[in-house]
Amino acid sequence: MLWKLSLTGIKSRFKDYLVLFSGLTFASAIFYMFMTLATNPAFLKGSLSIAFKITQIVFGFGIALLSIITFVYIVYANSFLLSMRQKDYGMYMMLGARTSKIGRLIFTETLVVGLLATLLGTVLGVGLTQGVSSVLISQLGLQIHKFVGFYLPALLWTIAFFAILFFLVAFWNRHKLVKSNVINLLHEDQKPVKLHRNKLWKFIEAILGIALLAVGYWAMMHAAKLGKKTIPIAFFTIVFGSYFTFDSFFTAIIDLLRKNLAYKYKKLHSFTLGQLKFRLSDYTRILSTVSLLFALALGAITVGLNFNNMTEQAMQSTYYDVVLYGHNKKVDNQLKKVSVKSTTTFDYKMVVEGKGKEKSRVLYIPENQIKNNQIMYQHYSRKNDMNHYDTRCIKVSDFKNKTDFNEAQYQLVSLTPYIDAQAKVVPETQYNQVKAKVNKIELLRVNDFRSNFNNIEKLQNLSATQMMSSPEVDKDAVNVNLSNSKSAQYRLVSSMTSGFEFMGFFLGLAFLAMLASTLMFKVLSGANSDKPRYQMLWKVGTRKSLLKASIAKEIGILFALPAALGVVDVLFGLQLFKSILGMNTYDKLWIPFTIFGVLYVLYYLLTVVLYQHIVLQKED
Amino acid sequence: MSEVVQVQNITKTYGKKGEKQYQALKGVSFDVERGEFVGIMGASGSGKTTLLNILSTLDQPTTGNVYINGRDITGLNKNQMADFRGQEIGFIFQDFNLLENLTNRENIALPLSLQNVKSSQINPKVDKIVKRLGIDHILNKYPAEISGGQKQRVAAARALVHEPAILYGDEPTGALDSKSATELLETMKGLNENDRVSILMVTHDPYSASYASRILFIKDGKIGKEIKKDGKSREEFYQEIIAELGRR
Repeated sequence: MLWKLSLTGIKSRFKDYLVLFSGLTFASAIFYMFMTLATNPAFLKGSLSIAFKITQIVFGFGIALLSIITFVYIVYANSFLLSMRQKDYGMYMMLGARTSKIGRLIFTETLVVGLLATLLGTVLGVGLTQGVSSVLISQLGLQIHKFVGFYLPALLWTIAFFAILFFLVAFWNRHKLVKSNVINLLHEDQKPVKLHRNKLWKFIEAILGIALLAVGYWAMMHAAKLGKKTIPIAFFTIVFGSYFTFDSFFTAIIDLLRKNLAYKYKKLHSFTLGQLKFRLSDYTRILSTVSLLFALALGAITVGLNFNNMTEQAMQSTYYDVVLYGHNKKVDNQLKKVSVKSTTTFDYKMVVEGKGKEKSRVLYIPENQIKNNQIMYQHYSRKNDMNHYDTRCIKVSDFKNKTDFNEAQYQLVSLTPYIDAQAKVVPETQYNQVKAKVNKIELLRVNDFRSNFNNIEKLQNLSATQMMSSPEVDKDAVNVNLSNSKSAQYRLVSSMTSGFEFMGFFLGLAFLAMLASTLMFKVLSGANSDKPRYQMLWKVGTRKSLLKASIAKEIGILFALPAALGVVDVLFGLQLFKSILGMNTYDKLWIPFTIFGVLYVLYYLLTVVLYQHIVLQKED
Repeated sequence: MSEVVQVQNITKTYGKKGEKQYQALKGVSFDVERGEFVGIMGASGSGKTTLLNILSTLDQPTTGNVYINGRDITGLNKNQMADFRGQEIGFIFQDFNLLENLTNRENIALPLSLQNVKSSQINPKVDKIVKRLGIDHILNKYPAEISGGQKQRVAAARALVHEPAILYGDEPTGALDSKSATELLETMKGLNENDRVSILMVTHDPYSASYASRILFIKDGKIGKEIKKDGKSREEFYQEIIAELGRR
């Protein structure tokens, strides 16, 4: 009989359960996907790329973070479940149902809802993984075949993780219900709230909160000076600073607003302020957690997207897009597929000089070609803590001082297949006297490197193969340093960065989804106890539109405060990454902020609608 | 004397046509004169809550008309109804219905801010009514910090601060001990006699009812009988009510 009652209870709350259920499903789907991507051996065997190993470490780290937030999320989702049901349970108990029976009921209900959501979530997760991994594989340029989204160990891990979590939660629910007495269950919403606190302590706390935040931000601004100390300092100060700020500073502002009669005595302002004051003291922990997670998630997306800049930088480090060492049919055919913007050439003769250990290779290059052909290279430096490249031209004078091996010499040699040779720039007459074969190097600049990358890479590789296979080449000496070529660098960096980018993006979104729904459930848990207040306001003549506006405003502030603090955290936190990565992490900031903003606002709107649905009576 | 409330033959039927219907009110008519203190008595299920809901625009009658302060409230839309409640009606509920996250002063000021009264005029109005009700010393406390009797006085202040056309009491003494109940009833009587506040009180408690000047008995959705105080002492009137209740 009780089971039947329990089912009808769920049915009557179907919409609320649907929100809870879909939230839990989403959580387990994301968890499964991360598990699969991080542990699937198909990835491990499929690639030896260092980039991918790094990606996996990052994914592992992501799982740790994800576990923590999932835990927090489920705790809050559960409190929402309990708040929906406790009046029913209280009623059953009042009607004489045994405590042990009710305990079993809630235990089973929690576990069943949780496990069903997990199962559905993993199924969803398999599909999600399939889609996401194909994007990931193509972005990382991995050669993996037969990768499927289904991976049993990951599935088992996910189910085990969630089962344990729900088991604990179910146990907690049972414990809480069995321990509390019937009256409390029936009238939880009428419990008095703690009202007064020591004003002096509150004042100190407010100042301390802002001061700690300031210290944390200062530390991140001066990460270069503080070095390894930066992260612990920032972590400690910002965590406690956020907590104190939420505990005191914001309520102090509300108290100030309440003293302003012109503001307070307008429409429902006094009610909204009163609600917020009580909410904030109840929400301190969750709001500070949300602001920190918000910062982490937004930071992850921003930094992730910024890795794209790293690819850009990798491309800046080399001036020429393709270096051709010679021609054959294959090279010529491939060359037709590449749109060449400009070609620069120079000749050289390779001679082995000296004997035994003294033996060394010398490249003779005609002076007039260096003078006239304008061979360029990218000079690296660090400006204002940022990586910086400027374009320089190789000059004849760079080769006059023979004892000094300078940058221009290195740059010129690295354009030839003989990376360890010595370059000698000599006048035409001397060059002609050198008895060796004339080789020609062609330096190409192309149109649209990125979109034509595959053809360019192929051309570079064909040219190297041609060089190696040519019969006159001294194979021991040739060191066609392919990893120096622009296409090789681009391949390496972009595979690494797209992994990070993807990771940051996905982890960021997963975090956002979870933290926003955590906040949502926390707000909705309070909805039932707010119901009589809105009923009363309606009775004494408040228009429904005004009630709705007040709800939207109140929840809006609860969503906005942690977001605002989180955004400030990120803006300062990016300073840290700026000095670590040497990149302008503030570039294109609007992209991650917009994505984040839109999603967060959607969660906010969903919360408002659900809340209004619970709190406001239907008028007919 | 003019009527502040005119109820003309109202009925209320629950349930849709074709389904099983239940008629809660079967043609109720009565008037409340300005400055009158009317009690409505009836057992549970007699229709008195439905009647009060309709009189306070929380619900609409199926047929019939209700005029309050000369205005037909049965033809109003939702926003007009809300505004009407906010301007013309004051409520005192059994369980006080104070907002526990507002101070008592803020609770009392609420109807005025809802009506866009200038903020500079709000505190003087609040101060005037709380002095009248003797609760001026607890204004900065929260409802959770005061006694039940004080809470109901705060609720009364909130109901009267905007000078409504009529004050509705829905079992106002139901949650009070006998001393606080008497104090509240004396206050209501004083407001009625000295300040000419029109009061309509729904109750099933004969002691509370004996403070009214006229009592309507409602039974099975109809007004059954009406008795008047007419210069009798409160004790005599109380005996009459008991006798009337015993007869049914």
